Amino acid sequence: MVTIKSDTESEPVQVEIFPSRFLSPETTQKLLNELYKSGGIVRMMIQGPNLPRTVTYGPGKGLPIEEHRNLLVEVGGEVLELRVKVGRIRLELEGEEFLPGIQAACERALPFSFQIKRGKFFREISTISDYAKYGKDADKRILGLVDPRAKKESALAVLSEKDSDKKEER
Amino acid sequence: MAYTPQYYPGNTSVGANRRKHMSGNLEKLRDIPEADVVAIMGHRAPGADYPSTHPPLKEMGEPDCPIRQLVEPTPGAAAGDRVRYSQFTDSMYFAPSIPYWRSYWAAINCRGADPGTLSGRQIIEARERDIEAYTKKLMDSEMTDVARCSMRGCTVHGHSLRLEENGMMFDMLARTELGADGNVYYVKNQVGIPLDKKINVGKPMSEEELKKRTTIFRYDNISYGGKVGARKFDEALEALHHMWELRTKWGFRPE
Repeated sequence: MVTIKSDTESEPVQVEIFPSRFLSPETTQKLLNELYKSGGIVRMMIQGPNLPRTVTYGPGKGLPIEEHRNLLVEVGGEVLELRVKVGRIRLELEGEEFLPGIQAACERALPFSFQIKRGKFFREISTISDYAKYGKDADKRILGLVDPRAKKESALAVLSEKDSDKKEER
Repeated sequence: MAYTPQYYPGNTSVGANRRKHMSGNLEKLRDIPEADVVAIMGHRAPGADYPSTHPPLKEMGEPDCPIRQLVEPTPGAAAGDRVRYSQFTDSMYFAPSIPYWRSYWAAINCRGADPGTLSGRQIIEARERDIEAYTKKLMDSEMTDVARCSMRGCTVHGHSLRLEENGMMFDMLARTELGADGNVYYVKNQVGIPLDKKINVGKPMSEEELKKRTTIFRYDNISYGGKVGARKFDEALEALHHMWELRTKWGFRPE
């Protein structure tokens, strides 16, 4: 049986924002707030190289890296600690009509060039790791948001509890 | 007639820079004090004695050997120094030098050095006082830009990553920082151990300067084939094709 959807109902779209430089915590906060304000975000993932808290290898192993501590960003009233150098932001939007808002938000927040790509960036089907981590009846919006080895509590933030306006971030 | 080595073919600026790096005929851009280079390398405290692995060669009583009589030992070898290293990472965003050219420079111009080439970093090993002298030469010369090249003994990645907002190459251990005065400072040594004081290594090059001095062929600066749309490729690419053909068809035997 084929179900025909009405023309007015919009499908969620996924986009990736790829700036030409890595973002500092200040620019990250500015961009995330602009994106948040532009609305229509179902979920969001930020990705980039790890910023370790200590030297991980070599003669200096275990020494603290003070520069990477307390990198806090405030988004939607929630304070998050940055653990990566932000190089890529993936979003799921409620519909195509929010795309111009995302473009405008990036133009306002980023002082250098960027690319916005449309595609499919989050998986829909639970993997074995997801099953082991989240259980059988996991919220599908969590899938693909965090690294399989990352702790959900520290890597995931729920910015709004409303079902229709739930935003998550790594 | 005196023989002049022909290091690298091509008429592009990148070809010319590659020849310069290989020949060792380099411009000196800055003068970083020797004690600062030693501190960034982190093998010994500046001013401390050189630890040794064997007595000085003169005291050892070497066997009667024509090669030993022919080859003068380097100062480090003569004194019996330890073998130590310095390792550099170069950004693919128009860093002046790249691992292969650092290795060519070291292999051609540095005695008693063992260069090692990796994809995004390059290491040179030598006796301690020799490697200190070689490293100072590297850091003072046009082979180094302080923002796009950095001494990294471990956790080296940054070569193929995007730059930071301020134009510095990304460093996971935050060894260097761009000061408010526009100078780049080393705050940690090459393995990420904090230094007693920040070491000023000078101002980074501008984007135009980097594009002028780079040894990297890139489509958005100088292509390997030279001028895009020209009737003939640059000699560098022709020579590469020639070598590829010889090696693929018959095994490369340059004789």
